[in-house]
Amino acid sequence: MNVSLSGPRGDRLRSISLSVSEGERIALLGRSGAGKSTLLAIANGSLRVEQGEVRWRGASIRTMPRRKKREIGMLWQDLLLVEELSVGQNVNSGALGRHNLIWGLANLLFNVDQSACKHCLQRAGLDADLIERGLIDAPIRQLSGGQRQRVALARLLRQQPQLILADEPIANLDPAIANELLDHLLNRSPEGQLNCGAEAIVISLHQPELVHRFDRVIGLQDGELVMDQPSNQLTPADLSRLYEAG
Amino acid sequence: MNRLKPAAPLLTLLPAMALVPVLIVTWTGLHGGGLSIWQQCLSGALHPSMDADVLHAVWHGLGVTMATALLSWSLSLLFGVLLGSACSDVVWRSWTLSSWPARGLRGVLAIPRAVHELVWGLLLLQVFGLHPYVAVAAIAIPYSALVARIWRDHLDSADHRPLNALISAGVHPLSALMTALNPGMGTVLMSYGGYRLECALRSATLLGVFGLGGLGTELQLTLQSLQFRELWTGLWVLAAVMLILEQLLRFWRERSGVGVHGQRRILLFGLLAVVLGVIGTFWLRLIVPDQFSGLSWIGMEVPSWTQLNAAAIELPWLRMILETLGLTVLAAGIAIGLPPLALLLWPSPRWHQCCSMFWACMRWIPPPLMVLLLLLSNRPSLAIGALAIGLHNSGVMGRLLLEGLQQQSGQRQVALRAMGSSERMSWFYGLLSPQSPSYLAYGAYRSDVILRETVVVGVIGGSGLGWQLLESLSSFHWAAVVLVLCCYCALTISGESLSDRCRSLWLQS
Repeated sequence: MNVSLSGPRGDRLRSISLSVSEGERIALLGRSGAGKSTLLAIANGSLRVEQGEVRWRGASIRTMPRRKKREIGMLWQDLLLVEELSVGQNVNSGALGRHNLIWGLANLLFNVDQSACKHCLQRAGLDADLIERGLIDAPIRQLSGGQRQRVALARLLRQQPQLILADEPIANLDPAIANELLDHLLNRSPEGQLNCGAEAIVISLHQPELVHRFDRVIGLQDGELVMDQPSNQLTPADLSRLYEAG
Repeated sequence: MNRLKPAAPLLTLLPAMALVPVLIVTWTGLHGGGLSIWQQCLSGALHPSMDADVLHAVWHGLGVTMATALLSWSLSLLFGVLLGSACSDVVWRSWTLSSWPARGLRGVLAIPRAVHELVWGLLLLQVFGLHPYVAVAAIAIPYSALVARIWRDHLDSADHRPLNALISAGVHPLSALMTALNPGMGTVLMSYGGYRLECALRSATLLGVFGLGGLGTELQLTLQSLQFRELWTGLWVLAAVMLILEQLLRFWRERSGVGVHGQRRILLFGLLAVVLGVIGTFWLRLIVPDQFSGLSWIGMEVPSWTQLNAAAIELPWLRMILETLGLTVLAAGIAIGLPPLALLLWPSPRWHQCCSMFWACMRWIPPPLMVLLLLLSNRPSLAIGALAIGLHNSGVMGRLLLEGLQQQSGQRQVALRAMGSSERMSWFYGLLSPQSPSYLAYGAYRSDVILRETVVVGVIGGSGLGWQLLESLSSFHWAAVVLVLCCYCALTISGESLSDRCRSLWLQS
């Protein structure tokens, strides 16, 4: 990825070049307004850049076919669940990229692929009893903040992405739920693969104390890449510099 | 297999199934006899008449229609607000009085509201003869009851805590009501009042089609004599006026936000309504001075019990009611289902602009004219009536849907597209889904309006209660008129209650 983007008040991102390797867990750090969300939106293809290019497995994300786009999954900061649909329909919306129009319409008529949907909800940490008691049919607006976060994660798992981008996924969660969510995203199997099924993951955070859970740390300051190093080499002084006033 | 549970966005599409029987019947009823007339009609659209006499007639007709619309709108707002306040529970409770008179008044107002303005027009025409005030009263009576209902609904559903706090602090109830509820109600008055002005212009044109004067009468006469170039002169002028009015009202709504100037705008709006009403009165007197000789009572014979009994036995009630309900269901299906279906087919901005233009056309062509145009190359049937009302109302529903979609954040659609879902599905899930409950709720209200409007095409298409009403009015069969009106009222009041339930169900879902 090599991108630049201008905003109404000057450069939002300045010539950022980076690549993500298979198996990497990357923490994206920086003060508010540093450009973390912008960078993730560009990487995900929902924001276009003026200069540079984002490539996924050699192909430009701008011209990439729709089927390939589903290989990149995003956990949005404000979740972007469809309030008017049920839990099951929201989870299944993650699989829209793999299915045709008829499947998309059928999902709005009855619960399609219920077992896959339940499986994703369980993997996202929702209580099995709650799922069996009809959580799939519940409207999104009846759920608590933590449950909504898990539904968004279940939707992401249903998408089966190979690269996960998460924009401050634990910003509004209490520490216990935040840790649980990070466990679901970052823990590895004994074989070394990520339990969430992705091949790599990039998470933007506001909690520098959690960087030990990642393999690599990327730091942004005023739209500029100022840090890119293994997490085990990171010192408190590096973090202080990153968060000091620009 | 799981049980069927259609989600809200899918429910917006399902009513479009009504298009299948309607299009099959329309297709089988097609005949080539009217093709040359259709060609003339389409060529007339491109070359409207610019003859000085035609332009003068159109200008005169437009003046009558606009003056009628302005006066009737102003009166309906004034009476609507007064009646709406009088039938609101919160107003009576503010004076620590029992609210049973409010409930009684609400019941009484259901009757003028249930009768379409065309029926009021035809009825008043029989009783008072042709007079400009007949059209004004025909619009003002049902519209006042409609405004009263909306005003009362908003008054009673507003947050009453500030009001109670003021009253408990010893403030006079009138001052407390003005202070606590006025800001919120002002927004209702401006947005709903503006919408009713559009409706008044449409209704004034419609009444003209049935002989009550104005541009509608000009359109009807030119169509009957197959003078399509002259017809299109009138239609283009009407389209321009509608478009200007819609844009002005949209501009007003966008500018009339909250803030310190909000209250001033409300006062300005009230003043504007009164001024426009006065302008309408003088305009009408200026344009048709010879008709202002005062209203004369031609009278109607009050039917006896025996006549009512005889009429009740001789009329084919079941067939008429079924035809009316069938027309309503099919037309409502087209009106509600067509806009989301059309937008879903190609969810691109350019296609949506095309749809928007098509819906604008559907809105300004009055349904009876549309029926007559369709009948040029088709056999008369219930399907033609349903198609005409359905397309006309799809114009209203389509505009509402597009406005709602434009005001909505597109983030969910972007998110779904980034997940690899198609343009169509991301639009459907991400944009239409959040709009669906409010769209369906408005659709329920629109079905209620369509039930009232069936009378409009019923009188042309020879079907349902509308046709029977016109026949009975033409032959001065007052017993049948009274019974058909009672039946219409019962149907529309039941329909209103059903649509109210559907609406609250969708808004709570």
